[in-house]
Amino acid sequence: MDLLIDSLYSAVLLVMSLDPEMLTIVGVSVKISLISTLIAAVAGIPSGFGIAFGAFPYKRVVITALNTLLAFPTVVIGLFVYVFISRRGIFGPLDLLYTQKAIIIGQVILIFPVITSFTISAISRIDERYRKTAMTLGANRFQTAWVVFREARFGIAAANIAAFGRVISEVGISMMLGGNISGFTRTMTTAMALEYDKGAFTLAVALGLVLLSLSFGMNLIFNFFQGKSNP
Amino acid sequence: MSLFRIEKLTKAYDNRVVLDLPKLEIEKNQITALLGPNGAGKTTLLNMLAFLESPTSGKIWYQHKQVKFTRAEIHALRREVVLLEQYPILFSTTVFKNIEFGLKVRNIPAKKREYIITEALELVGMQDFSTASARRLSGGETQRVAIARALALSPKFFLCDEPTSSVDVENQAVIVSLLRELNETKKMSILFSTHDRSLATSLAHQTLALDHGRLATTAIENVFSATIQCDKNGAHHCTLNPNVTLISAANIPPSFKQPTRIFIDPIAIQLVSNEEQQLENNVVKGVVFQIVKENDRIKIGVDTGIRLTLLIPEEEYQRKRIIIGDTLILAIPPGAVRPVL
Repeated sequence: MDLLIDSLYSAVLLVMSLDPEMLTIVGVSVKISLISTLIAAVAGIPSGFGIAFGAFPYKRVVITALNTLLAFPTVVIGLFVYVFISRRGIFGPLDLLYTQKAIIIGQVILIFPVITSFTISAISRIDERYRKTAMTLGANRFQTAWVVFREARFGIAAANIAAFGRVISEVGISMMLGGNISGFTRTMTTAMALEYDKGAFTLAVALGLVLLSLSFGMNLIFNFFQGKSNP
Repeated sequence: MSLFRIEKLTKAYDNRVVLDLPKLEIEKNQITALLGPNGAGKTTLLNMLAFLESPTSGKIWYQHKQVKFTRAEIHALRREVVLLEQYPILFSTTVFKNIEFGLKVRNIPAKKREYIITEALELVGMQDFSTASARRLSGGETQRVAIARALALSPKFFLCDEPTSSVDVENQAVIVSLLRELNETKKMSILFSTHDRSLATSLAHQTLALDHGRLATTAIENVFSATIQCDKNGAHHCTLNPNVTLISAANIPPSFKQPTRIFIDPIAIQLVSNEEQQLENNVVKGVVFQIVKENDRIKIGVDTGIRLTLLIPEEEYQRKRIIIGDTLILAIPPGAVRPVL
């Protein structure tokens, strides 16, 4: 119990002192996670739209596959990407292994199904009358899609927040593809794992506190936007 | 002049035919009522007339031009026709932006948009709600804003799916008078679906009835074939069968070769006592064979030699305690006997 209290106390002090090492780790984590979420959103939201609106063979199979991929273990993705970007892999010459780019590639693979699947679900929940109303008011296909997007925007925002939450807290991909290089690919989760291995809990707990605060902040932002949707 | 002409049109979902119309014409500049029970195919027909769905087979002519249902053509045609749904939905933004949507997609300049929106809101009596959130409106207000949103686009053809079914009596009156005014002043062609046959007969120039996806000639109750004769006093005698002849206040041309179709307004038919019947014209006696609650009224079927339907207020029904098998005396005011348009 003393260990926990002591660690928590030291961790709070560390956070309040804005320790440079801790800030670097947080900065790398947030930067990588934001870029991953952005890329996955750019690909996932239109894909979700296409799948939700489209009528094509095996649509249900595609949706089931996406839902299955939601539970894709990060270490499997790490291993999978490693095969391609390691020196002997087909993308070996690009020298991606143990770079932030490698982590981003893995994380995009991890959350693309999250964003796509949640976008499909957000759009499917939107009343069919919105689409019909937009069409009868003279909207073309893109304007109609925009109406549906607007009505589903909070569901889609939730998808992105969930995706961000998933990548900022994952450890497998960052460790396997990033290599936990200090100041470069060391993220909050890989740093916590390292500190745990060293038996030094202060920084690990401090990073845990930051991670929790980030999660809380994301929820606050989400609730703020959700509140805006009910003027 | 016909606005729409339909030939051999069918619509099927999963091989189930929901609409089968060999021939149908909808007149321009007129109000057309589409009567029919739930599942009769009214909404499917409205969707096709609004170019939101294409037929499974058959042809549709709009303003004498056959509709090909290509994407480009459909998009252009949709901008001439607006469908108001039974339960309209407003976009989750302000009333102003809701009405602005259709104008914006037509690239109408901002200043003109503002003018049109103000005018449309005034037309439905919602001018004070411009900045209000559409989500906070009541059912009647939503319906009126949806009408304003449609009318702001000045459609050539305005389709309404049961426009009065989801609103209170006050809003019903507003909507009915608005539709009538639009037709009279702007010569707007209007088609509305309804269960309410008295609304159909009072508002529409042309009434169509659908039943199980087909045009029904007898779906409208109280429509009969009659021989019309004019006596020397100018009264029009409508002979429905050898035992039933009614006087009509309408100026119906006498029928020579073919019988004339007449309609007897079920709301106008009165229940009278033995004493009262002496004072009335058009009195018939019959036996109750059907009692059904229909909206806020009670529908009573009476076999008088012809099967007449009357709609009476619920309190009158409870007061008189009518049961099946009762003999009723019905007084039919001459004004309630009208030719079918």
